[in-house]
Amino acid sequence: MTFRALRVAALTAAQRVVFAPSAFIVSMGIYGGVVAILGSLWRTAASANHGFVAGYTGAALTWYIAASEAATIPLNTRLIEMLGDDIASGAVAAEMLRPASVVAVRIASEIGRTLPHLALCLVAGTGLCWWTVGAPPNLASAALVPLSVALAITCNVVAQHAFAAVSFWIRDARSTWFIYQKFVFVIGGMLLPLEVLPHAMTTVAKLLPFMAMAYAPARLASGHFEPWLLLVQVGWITALACVAAVVFRSGERRLQVVGG
Amino acid sequence: MTTRRAVRLTMGNAFREAAANRAGFWTQVVTMIVNNAVWVLFWGLFFHRVGRLRGWDAHSVYLLLAALCTSAGIVLGFLANSRAIGRMVADGELDAALALPTRPLVYLLVRRVNPINMGDILFGVVLFFVAGDPTPTRTLTFVIVIVVAAVVLAGFLVAAGSLAFFAGRDDAGELGFHTMLLFGAYPVDIFGSSARLVLHTIVPAAFVAAVPARLVQHFDFGVAAGFVTAAVVFGTLAIVLFEAGLRRYTSGAVWTRA
Repeated sequence: MTFRALRVAALTAAQRVVFAPSAFIVSMGIYGGVVAILGSLWRTAASANHGFVAGYTGAALTWYIAASEAATIPLNTRLIEMLGDDIASGAVAAEMLRPASVVAVRIASEIGRTLPHLALCLVAGTGLCWWTVGAPPNLASAALVPLSVALAITCNVVAQHAFAAVSFWIRDARSTWFIYQKFVFVIGGMLLPLEVLPHAMTTVAKLLPFMAMAYAPARLASGHFEPWLLLVQVGWITALACVAAVVFRSGERRLQVVGG
Repeated sequence: MTTRRAVRLTMGNAFREAAANRAGFWTQVVTMIVNNAVWVLFWGLFFHRVGRLRGWDAHSVYLLLAALCTSAGIVLGFLANSRAIGRMVADGELDAALALPTRPLVYLLVRRVNPINMGDILFGVVLFFVAGDPTPTRTLTFVIVIVVAAVVLAGFLVAAGSLAFFAGRDDAGELGFHTMLLFGAYPVDIFGSSARLVLHTIVPAAFVAAVPARLVQHFDFGVAAGFVTAAVVFGTLAIVLFEAGLRRYTSGAVWTRA
């Protein structure tokens, strides 16, 4: 029953997005703009440094950025804020009446909402990169990218739910999404490969869950055949899902709603 | 009531509204400062690794960031509705503004203050004083170019948002907003010549950060004249498009969030 409920929640959310084309236009515009800008920036940097930055060529960096952005731009950037609002206002109480886990249904819906955007980003990103720098540096690792990007998005959505659940205790956690997002930007490897960071920072960043949200698919897209990254992603999804479930269950027990 | 008095009173109310939740206000300000600090970190790491790039180094990009944060903070903070014009038009939310004895665009622009962008202004000014090598001349130049850049940004956002009067949807406004801030945050010289042309004309992102930063570093009368012309063009375009669009405006009488 629960699996069917989650599947229906995801499909319904995906259908809603497909029939709202304006969201696609904005999302695609932003994705194309970011990939063009950052790709250009890193290619310029590589060409000014004998063709390489931290072991990546200009072409590899362009594919890296296309994948890291595809794993983050389709997401609702203000998910933490929205979740926090729903928890603080008590709106989440109505969802507790359903015969399914609140957090699981929410995660399924969000992933469903994201998948159509992700599909378009992957197509657009592949086209843009092929047009600007040619074929992917390594076809075998490139074949793993769609799966890795999907895992990255799942990991990110699950982590945001675990993070937002703090609203059960502190009420106003709306602004914290900014901070979370910046962790993904830098130590998650969205803006720059983790190898660009100072050595100690690279080591720490690779031990944190944020690397599973951007760096993992981007590293594969840049031509590094490292399939173990998929296992790391699955591991982080499992760990974060457990945290989200425990924190939500604990929060739901202490939720107090005034009026209704 | 004179327009000036109406603007002053409306803005005063907007400020009081924004500051009503004092803890929330400061939380948002601090959050934005942390957010912007991450960009300083990014550029620091980037230039540490790649060195100087087409005339830009960490120092000049910090100045670019200071210009962007301050000008965008002024527009998105003090004139918060400049970003929302398109959505308000598409959702039919201008009705309350139309009945007032002042120009609707002026009222709408000063009606709402966004506390989170106060953090941008604070961050931009501090970054200028920390990394912008502030002499009296450079400080005066910084103040002037920020005001001109704010006019360019506000003009572009209102003009792009006003397209919703004609299209019935706010895609152009939303896309325009993201494009300006996205492209404005990077040194314009990393792009190809055709992209640079677009960033100096159709989407004037270069005038919001890169050009002001260059003028503070090396003032040039020719560049300054082009900069002021861009402000006049986009300011005029915003007024013309908004006024023309207003004649086509229809709604379901929503008297709420203007």
